[in-house]
Amino acid sequence: MRPTARPRAFRGVAALSRPLFALLTAAAGLPGCATAPDEPRAAVRGEAGVPERDRVLHACRAAATALRTGDYSGAKARLDDALARLGGLIVDDAAAARARSLFAAEDTKVFVGEPYERVMAYYYRGILYWRDGEPDNARACFRSGQFNDAGAQDERFSSDYVLLEYLEGLATAKLQGDGTDALARARVLAGERFRLPDHAPGANVLIFAEYGYGPRKVAAGRFGEQLRFQIQDPPSRSARLVLHEGRTVVPLPAYDDLGFQATTRGGRVMDHILGRKAVFKAATNAAADVALAGSVIAADQSHRRELRGKEGGGSESAAVGLGVLGILGKVVSSATRAEADTRQWDNLPQRLSFAALRLPPGEHSGRLEFLDREGRALAARTRPVSLSVAPGDRDTVLFFSELSR
Amino acid sequence: MSLPFRSGPPFLLSAALLGGCATSEGVRNPSGVPVTEMRPDERGFVAGTGIEAQDMVAVTDRMARSILGIPQISRAATPPSVVLEPVVNNTRFPVNKDIFLTRLRTQLNSKAFGRVSFLDRDLMKTLQRERELKRSGQVTASADPNVVEFGGADYFLTGKLDGMSTRTAAGTSDYVLYSFRLTDARTSRIVWEDSAEIKKQGLEDAAYR
Repeated sequence: MRPTARPRAFRGVAALSRPLFALLTAAAGLPGCATAPDEPRAAVRGEAGVPERDRVLHACRAAATALRTGDYSGAKARLDDALARLGGLIVDDAAAARARSLFAAEDTKVFVGEPYERVMAYYYRGILYWRDGEPDNARACFRSGQFNDAGAQDERFSSDYVLLEYLEGLATAKLQGDGTDALARARVLAGERFRLPDHAPGANVLIFAEYGYGPRKVAAGRFGEQLRFQIQDPPSRSARLVLHEGRTVVPLPAYDDLGFQATTRGGRVMDHILGRKAVFKAATNAAADVALAGSVIAADQSHRRELRGKEGGGSESAAVGLGVLGILGKVVSSATRAEADTRQWDNLPQRLSFAALRLPPGEHSGRLEFLDREGRALAARTRPVSLSVAPGDRDTVLFFSELSR
Repeated sequence: MSLPFRSGPPFLLSAALLGGCATSEGVRNPSGVPVTEMRPDERGFVAGTGIEAQDMVAVTDRMARSILGIPQISRAATPPSVVLEPVVNNTRFPVNKDIFLTRLRTQLNSKAFGRVSFLDRDLMKTLQRERELKRSGQVTASADPNVVEFGGADYFLTGKLDGMSTRTAAGTSDYVLYSFRLTDARTSRIVWEDSAEIKKQGLEDAAYR
C-alpha cells in the first residue's frame, strides 16, 4: 500500500537534512535551559526570604498592615527601611541596567514603585512622625511626598495632592510658622470640588482616614509592555466620625484619590524602553517566520531537484542557513522580555481624608461611618471607635482605615 | 529551479533581527548620572538628594570651630553654661534632629577644654526627683540638698535646617541651609550665628524614571 500523501510543506520539512532537523530540535529545547542564578536574599527584619529587589515592596505592604493593626513601631521600622531606598537616587545599578536590556523583564529591577506608591510611603511616615510629636519631620515627609509627585507629563497633575499641601501648612502653623501659602495652594488644587477648612492650630486631635481600594497595575499591549491601571469604584465615597452619641460629627471627605493620581502621571521613560523591546520582539518574530518559511521552500526545492536526479544547487545549504536563522530569531524573540513591571503595593486605599478638631483630654467613644455616593451610611462598614485624647501639648493622632490589612 | 538566496538574505535577516537590540536608544543618560556635590553658588544641571551623615559631620565640625572662636566663649572669665534647644527641620527630608546637637555638643566638649559647659535639661525630671529624695532623707546627700544648685543657662544654642528642592525631567536638585545660633539668655541677643550650605543634584537611572 502506498503511504498516504503528505502535505507539500511537510514534505519540505521532512526533506531537511538530518543535521538540520537535529539542530532545530535542540534549539527548540534550549530556551528552557536559561535559568538565572539565585537572587541574593535580603535579611530584612521579619521578612525572611524576600528578594532584595522586592524589599521595598514588602516593607511597604507590611507597614500599611502594621499601621492598620496599631503596630506603630513596626510600621515605622518598615517605612524607614523603605524610605532609605526610596529617598535616594539609583544610578549605575546593575539590576536597572538588566531591566533595560532586551532579555530581562522590567521587574528584575529594584522595586521603588510608581509615584503614588512612593507618596504613600512618605504620607504614612509623616502620620507616624506627627504621632510621635515631631510635626516638622511629618511636614518633611509630606513635602517629600508632594515632591515625588512632581514631574508629571501634564503640569496640572504635578505635585497635586491636596492633603499633602494642606498638612504641610497645618504643620507649619503648629510650629508657629505661616501656613497660609500652603493652605492657599491646597485650595487651588481642590478647586471647586470641595472647600478645605481653615487650619486650626489649636486642634489637638488629628484624624487621618482612608477608604476604598487602591489602583491595580495591569500589563496591556501585545506583549504586556504597557503599564496600565485599573481603578475600582468602591461603595465608600466619604466617611464621618460620630462622637458623643451624635453630638459631635466630624466629616471626613475624600481629599485625594490614588486612582486619579496613578492615572494622571503620564508616560515613563521606561515605557519608551519597553516599547522598543516590544518592537524588537515583534520584528524578530516576524523575521524568524520569514526565515523559517524560506527554509521550508528551499528544502522543498532541494528535494524536488533530488527527485529529478539533479544536484541541490545550493538550496539545501540555504534551507539549513535559513532554518538556523529562523530558529535563532524565534529564540531571541521569545527571550525578549518586554512586559511592564506590575509589582504593586496592593494594600493601598483609594481615598485619603483628614480632619482636625479640639477635644478635651480623656476617653471618647463613637462610631466611624463610611458613606455611599448619596451620603448614606453603609451599615455593614460602620464600626465603633474609642479614642483617648492625651493631655498636654502633643497632638493625639488617630488613623482609621476601611482596609483591615 | 534554484532559489536565488545563498548568503545575502541570511545576512539581511540577521541584521533585521539584531537591529532592534538598542532599546535604550533615544533615552538620554540611560544609566543615570551619579550624584555630585557642588558649591551652592555653582549652577547645576538640576536635582539632588538628601541630608546624609557626611553633611552632618561637615556642618557640626564647622559650627564647633566657629563657636569656639567667639569672644563670649574664648575670653569668658568663667565657662558659660549652654542649653541646647531642638533643631527645627524645615526641609523635605525627615531627619534625626537631635544628632546635630549631640555631635555639636560632643565636638565642643572635646575641643573646648572646659571653656564651655552644657546643662543637661533632658535629665531635668530625673534630677528633680533625685533632689526630692535627698531632701526627704530617703537617700544620702553629699551637700545640702535645699540649696539650689541647678545651673541656669547663659546661652541657648539651637539651629534650623531650611531647604529648597527642584525636580524636573532632567533630575533632582536639593539645597539645604544649616544655620545655628547662640542666644544670650539674659538679653535675648544673638551673640553668634553661622551657616553652612550644601547643594546636591542627580539623575536617576532611566529604569526608574
